[in-house]
This record gives sequence, structure tokens and C-alpha cells, in this order.
Amino acid sequence: MHSPETTRHETGNGTAAPVVIVGAGHSGVAVAAGLRSRGWEGGVMLIDAENEVPYERPPLSKELLKDGAPDESAVLRKERFYADKGIGRLAGITAESIDRNSRTVLLSDGTGQAYHRLVIATGSRARPLTLPGAGLPGVRCLRTRDDALELKRLLVAGARVAIIGAGYIGLEVAAAAAARGCDVTVLEFQDRVMSRVTSAPVSRYFEQLHGRHGVRFVFGAAVTSIDGGQRAERVTVADGTVFPADVVLAGIGVLPNQELAADAGLECRDGILVDGDGRTSDSAVYASGDVTRFTSPVDGASQRLECIQNAQAQADRVAAHITGQAAAEPEIPWFWTVQHGVRLQTAGVRQPEDEAIVRGEPSGGKFSVVYLRDGRLAAVDTIANLADFRTAKRLIAQGARIDPVLAADPGIPLAEATSSTPNHSDADLAAARS
Amino acid sequence: MSNTSMSSNTLTVVDRDGATHDLEWEPDQSMMEALRDNDLPVLASCGGTASCATCHVFVEQEVFDTLEERSEDELELLVEAEGYRECGSRLSCQVAFSRDLNGVTVTLAPEG
Repeated sequence: MHSPETTRHETGNGTAAPVVIVGAGHSGVAVAAGLRSRGWEGGVMLIDAENEVPYERPPLSKELLKDGAPDESAVLRKERFYADKGIGRLAGITAESIDRNSRTVLLSDGTGQAYHRLVIATGSRARPLTLPGAGLPGVRCLRTRDDALELKRLLVAGARVAIIGAGYIGLEVAAAAAARGCDVTVLEFQDRVMSRVTSAPVSRYFEQLHGRHGVRFVFGAAVTSIDGGQRAERVTVADGTVFPADVVLAGIGVLPNQELAADAGLECRDGILVDGDGRTSDSAVYASGDVTRFTSPVDGASQRLECIQNAQAQADRVAAHITGQAAAEPEIPWFWTVQHGVRLQTAGVRQPEDEAIVRGEPSGGKFSVVYLRDGRLAAVDTIANLADFRTAKRLIAQGARIDPVLAADPGIPLAEATSSTPNHSDADLAAARS
Repeated sequence: MSNTSMSSNTLTVVDRDGATHDLEWEPDQSMMEALRDNDLPVLASCGGTASCATCHVFVEQEVFDTLEERSEDELELLVEAEGYRECGSRLSCQVAFSRDLNGVTVTLAPEG
């Protein structure tokens, strides 16, 4: 690497180098705040590629896109919080490389920043489209506040919007675009919406909800090209069908921003590998949030989670480990999306093989699907049904066994659907599962 | 630590160990933000959108009666929360700053 012209060692309130946090998303800010709330008296320096007060990302695809909504996203912490807590911020600056021997991060302004401990919280970026025409103006993704504001500008009434990918982001944007009077078509390679994260009954419910708001779906659609003169004008799929489009949004997942770590020789495999304390393969370097891959304490699976719960729980582990304290018991991973005003809130990480039991009548707009793995509650999807969410989160943490017959009855509180041993006949079970 | 402001409220908080803390509650903070930014153990993992119930507090009944009604989402989360009180439980993220709340005492609800 290049030698920095100057290296910052000062911390403002000590002689040792600070804890340096690269990335000021949810996890990076939570590490900084967590170090202070745990009594860390050394320096804390946040390096933020974006030049604004660190902000919440979930509203970018929800509230921010609404007609008449202010062009602001809620900030994670008030601006004065950082100064009040003695948290330094280098905004509009990126970390270019890490010199692990000298414990220095080389920054885009040509300076170096020495660290006592380094925390990589660089998050993830939208997976780019790699097909012909992907670079045309009018082809967008959604990850940052600037992305959201640009998208909002394009979603004018009457605009033809093609959305590639029926995941959370694609569907939230579809809902926002439809509400703004756009003509929306969602192109999805799989055979249903949100297939990666939920079961068929929930997919069906949301597909119908979107349909009632005028959103069209094309399933099994493999997009082959985007074409146009000065800007995107149409999208072509593998069977030759052409969809006219003024705006194309790609919502096809994310990639971890692991390059900084990988280039420094830290172990990565679709995510920076970290242990239960958030440490990478270098004990002076931690990673936290979307960018990490780790072993689930629940089921031993290797996973990369894209959610605020994980961003926060890992941040707490890192702050705890740096300060030599015990971490708080983490929450069960949970996720939410809001589409056409309907909230889908999920606790736990469902697997396709899980047994799915529907509680309630989807047509009523309020129901849950509980997912059982080896008889234990593994995950739940709740639709406008936060009571089940709250209860399920607790039961999942306890590894509670669930009686599938009782769980299928929405009149029975989920907490009363637990069982110590399965005690129903096969006929009852078959009926509950049908 | 924070700027002393003539316009801020004083908020008294009883934590889960029974210890009492007097905080400054600034006009641009929700009650949850005042708790969190003063290092009280409030996870607030949904960022203040009434989705997670990790900022559950108990408010004295006479204060509770002066607050705006709880939304359906807030109520559903609270009813299932540990130690729910029909006339006292609030998600602190849903309690906005108000001069009328100067000097009130809230108690952090048990976790879980």
C-alpha cells in the first residue's frame, strides 16, 4: 500500500489510538454508541463514506417514497449526539486499505488513521444488473438516500415502471410507485413473490394485495436486456416479450462490501467471517452487520443476515468484547416490510423445509404463518398481527415445542399452543397440515 | 454531557435494577430517544416505528391518562409484552416531547 503522508494518532482524550469504525450505517453507529454506553473512555472514530448525518435505511423504500413526504430520512442519532459522546466523524471519506502491521487505515483523502481496534461495518450494496443496457439512464437501484431521492423524482404519475425482482425492495417500490400513479410491472424469475423469505400462502396474499392496487406480475421472467436510445425505454425477457418502461428498478439482492477486508487478507466467503464476538481472522479487527458471515447460534448454519436486529446485536457483541464486558442476549432475528400499508413482520429465519401452519384467514387481512422445525417453533410471518409476532419471538428464543393442531386455531393464543410432547393422533395432524 | 437547554424537560427514569436517573429530555427527542441517548438500556431495535416493543415503559396512571391513545400496532405489541399494564404501558418511541411531561417519572419494563 501507499504510505500515508500523515497519520492521525491523536484521539482527543487519550494517548492510544482510537477504535476506528469504517461505515456509519446502523451497525457502525451502534458500535460507536455501544462503546460509550459501556464506558469506553478511549477515542472512537467513525469513517463515513456519505457526507451527511448517519440515517435510517428502512424508510428509504417506504415512507420517503410517499407522495408529499419530506426528502429526509430519520437520522440514527441526532447530530449533536456524536459531539456530546466524543465520537469523531470523518464524513465523505472512504477507507481505501488497511495496513494491519502498523494498524493503520489509509483514507481517500491520502491520510492514514491509526487504530487500536478496527471495526468494519461497511454493509452491503445493491447487486448490480449485468445485462445489456443495465447502464442506461433510468435504470436504478435503491440503497442510499440519494438513490431514494432520485427514484422518487422518476416515479411520476403515468410513468411506466418495470421492477426486476419481487423481493422486499422491489415490492416496497412497486407499492410506492403504484400509489404515485405509476403503471407498474414486476418481473420475477421465480414463480411467486418473496420466495426466498416466505411461504406460498404469504406470497399469494401479497401478490393479490398488489394486484388490487394495479400492480402486474410476470413470473418465470428472465430479463435478457434493457434497450433504449438516450435512456431506458423497454425491457425484454427470455421468451421475447417486451415491456415498455420509463424507469427500471433492479431489486435483485445485495452483495457484502467485503473488499476492504478481503484485500487486507482477512478471511471472507460471501461476507467477512466473524466469530461470536464479531472478531475477524485478525484479533484486532472486528466486523459487524450486513457485511459479516457467521455461524448461527440457533442452528449452527453459516449465515449472512440483512437486518437491523443483526446489525444491532453484532454491534453490541463487538462493543462488549472491546470493553471486556458481557454482551446482551441477542434478540431473535426479525424483519419487516410494509406494502400498501400492510405490515409483514417476521421473526426467525424460515427454511424451505419447515412445516408451515396458517393461523387465521388470509382473506381477512390479518393472519400468521408459523414455521415448525422438528416440532419446535423456528419462525413466524405475521400479517397485521403483531400479537403473534411478539409471542412467537419469545417462543422461538425458548425453543418451544408447538402443537400444530392448536397453532392452526387463531382463536387460541400462540402461547397456549405449546406442547411438551406431541400428543395428537396422526389424523389430527394430517387435518391441521392440510 | 448534553447542552443544557432552557426548553428541555426533566425526565426521571427508574431502571430495571430500581436505580433512579434524572435525564434531560430535549424537545426534538421522542421519549425513547431521550432514554437511549442517555445510555439507558433501551434497545429500540426498530428505530422508533412501533414494531418491536423493546422500548416498553410504565407511566404513572395520571400521566398515562393525558397521553394520546395507543395505536393498534402499539397496543398489540404491548399486550403481549412482559408485565403489560392496561393503564400504564407505553412504547416510549410513541411518546412525543411535550411541555406537560416535564418532571414525570417512567419505569423501564422488564425485557422479554
